[in-house]
Amino acid sequence: MSLLRVRGVTRTFGAGPAAVHALTDVSFDVEPGTMVALVGRSGSGKTTLLNVIGGLDRPDAGTVHVDGTEVTALDEDGLSMLRREKVAYVFQTFGLIPVLSAAENVGAPLRLARTPAAERERRVALLLDLVGLGDHAGQRPGELSGGQQQRVAIARALAASPRLLIADEPTGQLDAETGRSVMALLRGVVESEGVTALISTHDPVMMALADRVIRISDGRVEDQDAPRAEQQNAPGARSVEERDPPC
Amino acid sequence: MSSRSRPAGAAPRAGRRVRFPVPHWPSVAGRARADAGPLLLTAVVVAIVAALTAAVPVLLRSTADDAVRDAVRRAGTAADVTVTARWEPDDGEIGRKRFPRLAEDVTALRDRALDELGGDLRRVLLPPVAGALSPSLKVTDGSVLRTLRLGYLSTAGGPAVTWTAGGAPGATVEGSVDVPPAGPPWQVSIGLSETAADVLGFRPGDRIPAADENGNDKNVVVSGIFRPTDPADPAWRQAPWLLEPAPGADGFGTTRFGGLLSDASLPDARLAFAPDAMPRTVWFSPDPDVLTWDTAERITATAVSLKATSASSSTFDTTSSWNTQLDAVLRDVREQIAAASAQAAVLLIAVLTVAVLVLLLAAELLVRRRAATLTVARQRGAGLPALAGELLLESLTVTLVAAAAGVALARTVVASAPGASPGWAGGGLGWTAPVVLTGIAAAPVLGVLAAARATRDRRVPANRSARTRLRRTAQLRRLAAEGAVVLVAAGAFTALHQRGVEPGAAVALPAAAPTLGLLAGALLLLRLLPLGTGLVLRRALRSRRPLAVFGAARAAESGGRALPLLTVVAAAGLSVFAGTVAATVETGLRDGAWRSTGADVRLDLAESAGASAAEATAAIAGQPGVRHAVAGRVVDAARIVTEEVTVAPRLVVVDVAAFRALLADTPLPDAPALAALPGSSPAPPGSSPAPLGTGSTAETGQTAGSGPTSQAGPTAGTEPARGRPEAVPVLVLSGDGSLRPGMSLRLLRDEGAAVPLTAVGTAPAIGGAPDVVLVDASALAAAGAPAEPNTIWATGPGAARAAANSGIGADVVPRTGVLRERRDAPLVTGLRVLAWASAAVMLALGLAGFALSAAASAPERWQTLTRLRTIGLRPRDTRTVAAAELLPLAAVAAVAGPALGVLLAGVTLGPLALRLLTGQSADPLPALPWLTAAGVAGVFLLSTLVVAPLESAVRRRQRLSEVLRVGTP
Repeated sequence: MSLLRVRGVTRTFGAGPAAVHALTDVSFDVEPGTMVALVGRSGSGKTTLLNVIGGLDRPDAGTVHVDGTEVTALDEDGLSMLRREKVAYVFQTFGLIPVLSAAENVGAPLRLARTPAAERERRVALLLDLVGLGDHAGQRPGELSGGQQQRVAIARALAASPRLLIADEPTGQLDAETGRSVMALLRGVVESEGVTALISTHDPVMMALADRVIRISDGRVEDQDAPRAEQQNAPGARSVEERDPPC
Repeated sequence: MSSRSRPAGAAPRAGRRVRFPVPHWPSVAGRARADAGPLLLTAVVVAIVAALTAAVPVLLRSTADDAVRDAVRRAGTAADVTVTARWEPDDGEIGRKRFPRLAEDVTALRDRALDELGGDLRRVLLPPVAGALSPSLKVTDGSVLRTLRLGYLSTAGGPAVTWTAGGAPGATVEGSVDVPPAGPPWQVSIGLSETAADVLGFRPGDRIPAADENGNDKNVVVSGIFRPTDPADPAWRQAPWLLEPAPGADGFGTTRFGGLLSDASLPDARLAFAPDAMPRTVWFSPDPDVLTWDTAERITATAVSLKATSASSSTFDTTSSWNTQLDAVLRDVREQIAAASAQAAVLLIAVLTVAVLVLLLAAELLVRRRAATLTVARQRGAGLPALAGELLLESLTVTLVAAAAGVALARTVVASAPGASPGWAGGGLGWTAPVVLTGIAAAPVLGVLAAARATRDRRVPANRSARTRLRRTAQLRRLAAEGAVVLVAAGAFTALHQRGVEPGAAVALPAAAPTLGLLAGALLLLRLLPLGTGLVLRRALRSRRPLAVFGAARAAESGGRALPLLTVVAAAGLSVFAGTVAATVETGLRDGAWRSTGADVRLDLAESAGASAAEATAAIAGQPGVRHAVAGRVVDAARIVTEEVTVAPRLVVVDVAAFRALLADTPLPDAPALAALPGSSPAPPGSSPAPLGTGSTAETGQTAGSGPTSQAGPTAGTEPARGRPEAVPVLVLSGDGSLRPGMSLRLLRDEGAAVPLTAVGTAPAIGGAPDVVLVDASALAAAGAPAEPNTIWATGPGAARAAANSGIGADVVPRTGVLRERRDAPLVTGLRVLAWASAAVMLALGLAGFALSAAASAPERWQTLTRLRTIGLRPRDTRTVAAAELLPLAAVAAVAGPALGVLLAGVTLGPLALRLLTGQSADPLPALPWLTAAGVAGVFLLSTLVVAPLESAVRRRQRLSEVLRVGTP
């Protein structure tokens, strides 16, 4: 059974001659535990598609199901619960709260989920270890580098154990080397956490790490590649719970 | 964007035209359309403040003129300038000599006085009235208490009368004759008004039986009965009793009648009295309508000069003696105007400061909204001068149009104000300048700085120590700026407390003390707020409520912004300060009225009415609604000798027990020391019946009024010791410490030996006098100095009516009348209106500042909230988090603002001399306007609850999805 099912999604901005057809009859499925790269030129409709899937935007037509829940039928509270339990985001601009420490930022979704403090702290510590920032738990975003901030954002996204991780150009503001390490981290957590990831990117390395690549052009799905052999060698084979604490 | 900048100071090359930056009109129009809201708010703020600051100085000047006129009107005849001169000696060969042409002497004195008057004074005085008034005579027809005064009045053409019966008084004898000293009373012919003749029942040819105070008969014959041609002729003002009988003018139950003298009978009247008993006098009444604040100072100087150079009363010649209280009246009102001007300046500076802060906030919001477009314009090659020109063009247009509208509004208001000066020429524009300049300059300056910052090469150093150095430099700059504000505030406070608001002195710095003090306090809060929000965040992190964490986090993040905090705290604090000024004036007026009258009503008896004071007091006490009525004697400038100096305090002689009961019936401060005086206990039952529960009332009048006959026997401290009288215990109050409890004093008297006194306690303030000596009437009488009452105090709801109907000749001074009169005085009314208007304007500006601050921080706030929504925050929870972020600013404004306002009122109202307007003897204690403070606090807190849902409603229309890519909703 697919974790993500997109059927006939259409989204148009504006009306009349000035109308922009961002998505036209987009359909595809994503299996659980896979990492999918969504690629295409700027303005091809990647972000619109991610927004519709994550419930941040509503399509004009079509349906989206995430883990059996029809996203397009949910009201605002339902979407909030969906984002709290099943879907998580990683932003290009990190989206951290400046006055909270890295640990407190990671713990934010768990606070919303009313997770007990002890369990929350344990989970936060594990996630920070997972992203390699166990020693930076008390630092604020302003005291971290861009790559470190994106790692914190990834940890935060994973905090509530979502079924689907959506990342829109997660390496867009990072240099190439840092971007690659973040990509590798994402690849790792997909495998270790069993999460499904849908990532828009221009980065060939990311595409290489993905289980599958969906190409989108002018709002239509153009091509869907099969998984690549190199993907089998991606780092991060163990789950978060199994990962050893840093020395 | 067609401009090209040239290095400063570089001369244009020969042959090349200098190109000035040309505005890119589509950009100018587009920006104005996009930011119509902040621009409109800027315009409204400029217009309101321009209207206020342009109108107030002009209205203040107009009010000052009104105050001068009002003071002179209220002073009545006390403000008249009088010139008196003795007649030529009338010693004859065998007695006194009759001079037939005394009327010409009166005219001569009038002409001489006009010559001596001087141009300044002559211009503000009405045409003079000359004349001579006799002492009072008793009409001895045995019926009722009637008195008669003779009067001669002369003006340039009057006062004209019509003789309805008989004729004008004629001369008893023609020409100059010698009058033997032992002859019969010299006959005087007089005219009676129709009213007087009807009441007295005299006809022409009748003789009025009259005698002087020594019982010497006078021969007064009625020659005719007259009707005044114009009863409103100013000449009658000097002797109104010539037209209408005056009840009580010469004592309780008496009625004074007047006999009109003519040119012919004036010489006979002089002979009928002692040689100098009716000196010739010229009265000049000031014309209030031509008096102004500008002329008051010169007139005061002229009046003082005239009095100083006039003859002393002891000289036996015919030199003019000038006398007037006009200089004192004008001096007092000038002091009041100076104080009111300073108080108005305090309020205006406060309004201006808050307005400038709000304009800066509006400019900051504009620049935040335009940061992206300005950066893009710069990157596309727009020069900074071109950008500055475009922004300046916009701000100039908005500000000047708004300021012009405000000034036009002010002009309309000023023109429609009663008593407005027709020659208004925008005299208050100096106050408008700071607001206009800020409106013009703020947005262009901040905009150009933002554009320059966005495209300059300077970057944040990668080196940590360099970053630290930069941060410390910024901290030092901020510390220096804050220190400068605190230093200037300290200087202003020092100036205010040392110099006060003296007339003529520069008041700008002292008047800025409250505003600067509040800004200094706000800066302190600015330092403390991050600590507070950090503490709240730490506590929230330990809680299990996620919304508390997110709200506290946002509050901690945005709590360090200086301008919003300064604006809302200054607005809230200065609003409450202005409210405190108004409330203090109000309570001060009430207190001042109580202190001035000492009771619900005070009767200032005519000197001749003293003997009947006891009867009048009893009559008042017997009226319904009167709780207490106490008679006493109040002597200003009594001569008291201490061991060190001679002082001239107010001497108050009362029945202590009754006075104590009266005091207890008023809100005036209790005087526990009264218990230390003899007679402080109520009279024992049966000793004297007490009507209407005012046991002391009738008895007091008797005690104080009837002298030795009312002695209640020896009392403690008053029993004469053998050979040497024992000192009479008194209470003392002194403004300069010259009278202190424990001192031995002596009361000097003209009519007898000095009375030894001993100060046993502190006296209450009575009538606002700084120095008071209070003594029990019985004790003083026992020491051989009985005192006839000249004052009656009464309390109770019916006291004023009872006093008005008492029938005694007295000035009835009801407390409510005093209060109404002072409250309606132009300066007081003006200050109260200005204070409340300022409070309202500053509160409105504060709310505008709060809204601007919220709008400026909204993008960041909703960016965070949108991010939080992507991790599961529900839409309705965003309002809670947004409100939590705005709450600290509102809470600081609501709590610290009013607290600072009240605190500053406490330390600055004293030197502002509100007492000059409230009629109090000492500076009033600030009256805390709880309702105003609670209102200000509530409005700011409420605004949080309004702004957050409003923002939420606006932001809900924006798509959440946009944040995923660019991070900006």
